[in-house]
Amino acid sequence: MQTITPEAFFNARRQFLKLGAGALVSSTAISKLLAELPKDTSLHYIPDSNAQKLVINPMEQATHYVNFYEFSTDKEAPVKLSQNMKTTPWHLGFFGEIAKEQMIEVDTLIAKFGLEERIYRFRCVEGWSMVVPWIGFPLYKLLDYLEPNSDAKYVKFTTRHDPTIFPDQNRGIFSAIKYPYVEGLRMDEARHPLTFIAVGMYGKRLLPQNGAPIRLVVPWKYGFKSIKSLDLIECVKEQPLNTWQDQNPNEYGFYANVNPEVDHPRWTQAKERVLGKLLKQPTLKFNGYAKEVEHLYAGMDLRKFF
Amino acid sequence: MKILLTLVALLPLALVYYQLDSAIDPIKMLYHYTGIGAIALLLLSLLPSTCKRMCHFNLLRYRKTVGLLSFVYVLLHASVFLVLDSELDFITIFEKSLKKPFIYVGFTAFVILFFMALTSFKKLFAKFSKYHKAVYLALLLALLHSFWAQKVAGVFEYSVVMIGIFLLVERLFISFKKPKSLH
Repeated sequence: MQTITPEAFFNARRQFLKLGAGALVSSTAISKLLAELPKDTSLHYIPDSNAQKLVINPMEQATHYVNFYEFSTDKEAPVKLSQNMKTTPWHLGFFGEIAKEQMIEVDTLIAKFGLEERIYRFRCVEGWSMVVPWIGFPLYKLLDYLEPNSDAKYVKFTTRHDPTIFPDQNRGIFSAIKYPYVEGLRMDEARHPLTFIAVGMYGKRLLPQNGAPIRLVVPWKYGFKSIKSLDLIECVKEQPLNTWQDQNPNEYGFYANVNPEVDHPRWTQAKERVLGKLLKQPTLKFNGYAKEVEHLYAGMDLRKFF
Repeated sequence: MKILLTLVALLPLALVYYQLDSAIDPIKMLYHYTGIGAIALLLLSLLPSTCKRMCHFNLLRYRKTVGLLSFVYVLLHASVFLVLDSELDFITIFEKSLKKPFIYVGFTAFVILFFMALTSFKKLFAKFSKYHKAVYLALLLALLHSFWAQKVAGVFEYSVVMIGIFLLVERLFISFKKPKSLH
C-alpha cells in the first residue's frame, strides 16, 4: 500500500530541493529561501468531543464569509485584502484594574494557557449562522492570571488600530464605522467557562480575515460581540460603549444575546440562514446555550437589555 | 430590439441560478441580485424621458419594456421574501414582518409597481396612465429600502441614491419651468 505524502511535506520537499540548489549559489540565496518556507500553522490542542453532534460548516464558508469592516463591508473582500497582514509577533496589552499591567506576545499566552478545541454555534445579528471548531483557551484562565481587583466590573476589548494593516481605518469620514472597534462584557460573562479566546480554527492558526492572530468568541451572543484581532484587554469600572451600540443604539445594545423572541428593528430574529443551506432553521434562545448562561440574566428584561 | 433588450436584462438571472448551488448564503445572494436588478432597471426606465429632454434622443418606445423587466426582478425579489425567507408563514408576515418599516417600505413599492405592471397594457393604460407618476414614489421607497438592507450604507448605496435623486430633481425642475410638459 502506498501512503500519500501530506501536503505540507510535499511542499517542504520542493522547498528543500530549491534550498539545495540555492546552496550552490550563495548563502544569501539560502536565507531568502528559508524565509519563504511555508510556516507550519497547525496547532496542538485537546479536541472537542462534539457531544451535541453539531454539524461543522466547511472551512471554506467560515473563511470566505466574514464581517471585518476594517478591511471592507463586503463579506468576501477581506480574504484578499488581508493576505499581507503581519500577525507575528503580536503583543497584546493588558491594562486597567488588574494586579500588573503588561504586554504579552500571543505565543507566550498559548504556552501559558495551553490550547483546546471548542465547537460552537455562531449566529450573526444579520440572520445567518454557522458551526465553527475554534482553538484557544477560556478567557477565565487569562483573567485568573491577570488578577482583576474589586473595581473591575467589566472587561473592555479593543481591536488593533493600524491603518497600515486595515485600509478602512484610513478613510476618515468615509470609513464604514468608527475605529478602533470596541466590545465589552460584564465580568461574570467574561469569566463564564464558555467565553473563549481563539487563536485558531479548523486545526490551524486563525487566518487574517477571521481576526488573526487572536480574537474573542462568545457563543451565546451575536457575532459582533466576538471581536477580532485584539490589541487591548482592559478591566474597567464602567460599562464600555461597544462600537455597534455607539453606531446605532436603537438597533444594537450592550448585551446582544441571541434571542429569537426579541426582533431586530428591521428584521425578525426567529429564524436563521445556516451558511450553505437554502432553507432556514429556528434560532435557539441564547443560541442553544440557555442552560449554561441564562442564570447570568435572571430578573433582567431582555427586551430592554437587548 | 425589444427581444434583445429582454434577453440582456434577464441574462444575469441565469448567472445567479448557476451560482446558487455554490453560494455561501443563498437567500442573501438572491435578495441582493434581484434587488440590484430591480433598482437598476427602474432607474433605466426613467432615463428615456430625461434623455429626450436633455439630448433630444428618443428612446421612449423602450420605456415600457424596461419597466416591465424591472417588475420581473421585483416579483422575484418579493418571492424570495415570501417563499424562501418567510416560508409562506403568513401569520409571521402580517403580525411581525410587515410592521417593520424596512419591510413595509419595500412592500409598498412592490404594490405600486404591481399596479403599474397590470395597467401597462393598451386599454387599461389609457385609463390609468395618469397614475403612473406613482413610479417616483416607488423609486424613493425602493431606494430607502435598499439603504436599510445594509448594516451600514456604503459608497454603492450612496451612488445609487445620487442617480435616483438626479433623475427626480431633473423632472421637478422641468415641471417647475413648464408645468404641462412632464412625461
